[in-house]
Amino acid sequence: MERLDRKLGTASSLPLLAILLVAFIAPMLVVAVFSAMPRKVFSVFNSPDFSAYAALLEQGYYRSLLWSLGMALASTVILFVVCWPLAFGMAKVFKRFTIVLTIAVVVSLFVSENIRLFGWVLTLMKGGLIEGHVRAWTGEGFESPLYSVPIIVFSLVYVYFPFMLFPLAQGIAMVPDDARQAAADLGASRWRILFEIDLPLAAPGIVVGSLLSFVLAAGALAESKILGGQTVIVIADEIETAFTYGQDWPLGSALSMVLITIIAALAIYGIAKVDLDAIMGRKGR
Amino acid sequence: MKTSRLLRAALMAYGIGIIAWLYLPLVSVTFASISKARYLSFPVKRYSMTWYTRALESDTVSDIVFTSLKVAVIVTVVSMVVGFFGALAFARYNWRFRKLYQKLILLPIFFPQTVLGLALLMWFNSVGIIPTWKTAVIAHLVWISPIATLIIAIRAYSFDAALEEAARDMGASTWVTLREITLPLLMPSVISAGLFAFLLSWGNFPLSLFTTGADSTLPEWLYAKMVSGYSPLVPTVGVLSIIASFCLVTLAVLFPWIMRAARKDR
Amino acid sequence: MQFAPAIPPGRYLYSGQTMSSEPILRLDNIVKRFGQFTAVDGVDLAIEEGEFLTIVGPSGSGKSTLIRMLVGMEEVSEGAIWLRGERIEDTPANERPTCMVFQSLALFPHMTVGQNIEFPLKIKGRSPAERKQRALELLALLRLPEHYYTRNVTQCSGGERQRIALARALAFDPEILFFDEPLSALDYRLRKTLEKELKDLHERTRKTFVYITHSLEEAMVMSDRIAIMNSGKFVQIAVADDIYAKPVSRFVAEFMGEVNLFDIEGTTSDDLHGTGIEIHVNGQAGEFGISLAPNEKGTLMVRPEFVRFLSSGETSDFLVRGILRAEYALGSRIQYKVETANGSKLTVENLREDRYQGAIGDAVILGWDIESTHIIRE
Repeated sequence: MERLDRKLGTASSLPLLAILLVAFIAPMLVVAVFSAMPRKVFSVFNSPDFSAYAALLEQGYYRSLLWSLGMALASTVILFVVCWPLAFGMAKVFKRFTIVLTIAVVVSLFVSENIRLFGWVLTLMKGGLIEGHVRAWTGEGFESPLYSVPIIVFSLVYVYFPFMLFPLAQGIAMVPDDARQAAADLGASRWRILFEIDLPLAAPGIVVGSLLSFVLAAGALAESKILGGQTVIVIADEIETAFTYGQDWPLGSALSMVLITIIAALAIYGIAKVDLDAIMGRKGR
Repeated sequence: MKTSRLLRAALMAYGIGIIAWLYLPLVSVTFASISKARYLSFPVKRYSMTWYTRALESDTVSDIVFTSLKVAVIVTVVSMVVGFFGALAFARYNWRFRKLYQKLILLPIFFPQTVLGLALLMWFNSVGIIPTWKTAVIAHLVWISPIATLIIAIRAYSFDAALEEAARDMGASTWVTLREITLPLLMPSVISAGLFAFLLSWGNFPLSLFTTGADSTLPEWLYAKMVSGYSPLVPTVGVLSIIASFCLVTLAVLFPWIMRAARKDR
Repeated sequence: MQFAPAIPPGRYLYSGQTMSSEPILRLDNIVKRFGQFTAVDGVDLAIEEGEFLTIVGPSGSGKSTLIRMLVGMEEVSEGAIWLRGERIEDTPANERPTCMVFQSLALFPHMTVGQNIEFPLKIKGRSPAERKQRALELLALLRLPEHYYTRNVTQCSGGERQRIALARALAFDPEILFFDEPLSALDYRLRKTLEKELKDLHERTRKTFVYITHSLEEAMVMSDRIAIMNSGKFVQIAVADDIYAKPVSRFVAEFMGEVNLFDIEGTTSDDLHGTGIEIHVNGQAGEFGISLAPNEKGTLMVRPEFVRFLSSGETSDFLVRGILRAEYALGSRIQYKVETANGSKLTVENLREDRYQGAIGDAVILGWDIESTHIIRE
């Protein structure tokens, strides 16, 4: 039924493709065009001069970009270490507890990011849930850890936790038990099994999870605003400011283009490496 | 290799710790919402439900809830339909550009939502559309319908193509096969995709921020209140929103069970 | 459960004879290519009305692709399919009056047994009352209890599911019923039972059955005719006995089970000659249809059960000397491996009561008769 398959496949992809064309690809093109316009214009009908890109270098916007990328990298590494044991447990050790964990983590996703970050402010602030109770019991409080770089990384880890956990668990589930047992039988230690069997075979899950958390964290805004105060200005913050207070759309677009290019390069490289059919469990035909 | 009981217990304890960590901020929010004081300080000394009464009576809050609801319901319905067909194209049919299509629809999920929201704002502006809650629906769909597609695709993958072939072989047309075989078998995943779509739209902030224009959704309103100084209404409305989400999840989880009970009665 | 066949076995006609002037299905040079790969490579076949034809081949031989083209689930790259004189290769599956029982059975898991059986009738627009009546008739025909009508298919056992799939296919009332290895997932004993039931069902319904399998045993039990397929082509189409005793190629001979093959050549004196084998046919070869022209090369074939151990002094039409290397018990029979002087191995199978009285390492003489010998000319 190849001919029928081709027809139906094309037809059923159309609604989604239409949405993406109108509301994803077209806006991206507008951003690309705007980024080449002279500063502070509000129409694409100007002759391009790329002055916004020049401003990026001169006015030190790269610092915000480096902060964003640096914190994204740090949070991705921490997330990997934090999630691996749990993902391993979900894929290979737990039985019913895996379902409990999955539901608990998914349900937490449904609570608006804002409310959860605000909850951390209430938890960690001076006179908050932790410090307030500690002071009530011991009579001595401590400085709030809020409004610093580590707390931003902490909140990135918190918010993007599910995006690392689930792909990792899926990746580890793809490691056949036989291979692990055979390695153990041949005398490999736990660490050897981890490095020789688990990590290479779970690679697709690791790639997807790391990519997702890195990319989402690099474009994150609310974390640094709500928990970070104004200690660090992240790239998404610069973009927002350029568009809103700055009223400089070409600058905002140029900043966006830089971020988009980095993210798209990583995402496309990562996605191209992974066989989606295999990860999601397509049956051979 | 048998996992030792100790390792298993340690991993379970770790998992419970993680769940506690995930929900700790919500505990703080809940306490804050029932604290009587105008300015919050822990430990909470006196509790009261006055802020809830205020929130429920407020016209602003009900307007905002209504806007959020409108957006979420439309996004849900459209995502279910688009996701159903999108998933068939993703997982079920062999067509020429399938691999490319799979990768394309993943891009919006990877995309920083703030930037996407701003890009959409510029796009609407350059084609002369004034942003309202309707444009927010479009913005949400860019991000949510690919997710719905993926959720349904997972089930479509485990779907035995022979079932559709058998129906066809016995004379069913493409449309009848879709209605009698494919849709009923994928229905559980279409429903869970709808649930995800609703809740993700309900809780979304970065996309709504730039695309709702003069209208405001619940997360936007909460954010505005948060950054403009503390108001006890923030935790209260936040908790109400969380409770609404949880009710919906519970209902959805119990749905198959209710259906079965209803069928038995007949 | 035994059923007295309505028609005595052997009623169906075999190769060489035709039943009606026109076959129900005729394939004319069917080719199927997937990119560079040719899965089916120019197949011709005429299927007679009412026969049980089995297509047998190893996995990858193209038999699955062929049957999928016949029901309309795969497009034909080249060639024509005629159903009762009408070309159908471009007719989509849902407009062909044929039906297939899938390897996975493809029972609809969201429907009851009754709904599954009624599905084709529903598509044809029959009334609910008529549908139900027919479904109950079919349950009875396949010896399934009536209360299964409301049961969920997921609660049925492997054998029951098999019968439900059959009932559903019969409800469609197809001109030809195709089977794509539907028994392969079942255990041995159940498979044996269902093979007999299927043959019995064929005799009762008198429908045309086309069955594909990789198991020769299955084919031998059920079919009127067997078509052997290899590398996208039919190698031989004949009744089971002929395929077993008179294969047309080494491939068919070996596919049909253990066999002893010798390279052989015709001599000028209307005799046969081969290395490592003594031949005493004395010009009788022509009489038994196994002669070769001078210098013509061929393969001499003898099945292990026709080879026997000769006592010294005893002679036979064909003789081979060697050393007994191994003995295996196969239940009712014993199998022996004998190594000849030039290093080739022979297989011998004797009934248990004819067991060879000797030991491993003995020098032995093997012999067989001209009646059990066949020559393959390729």
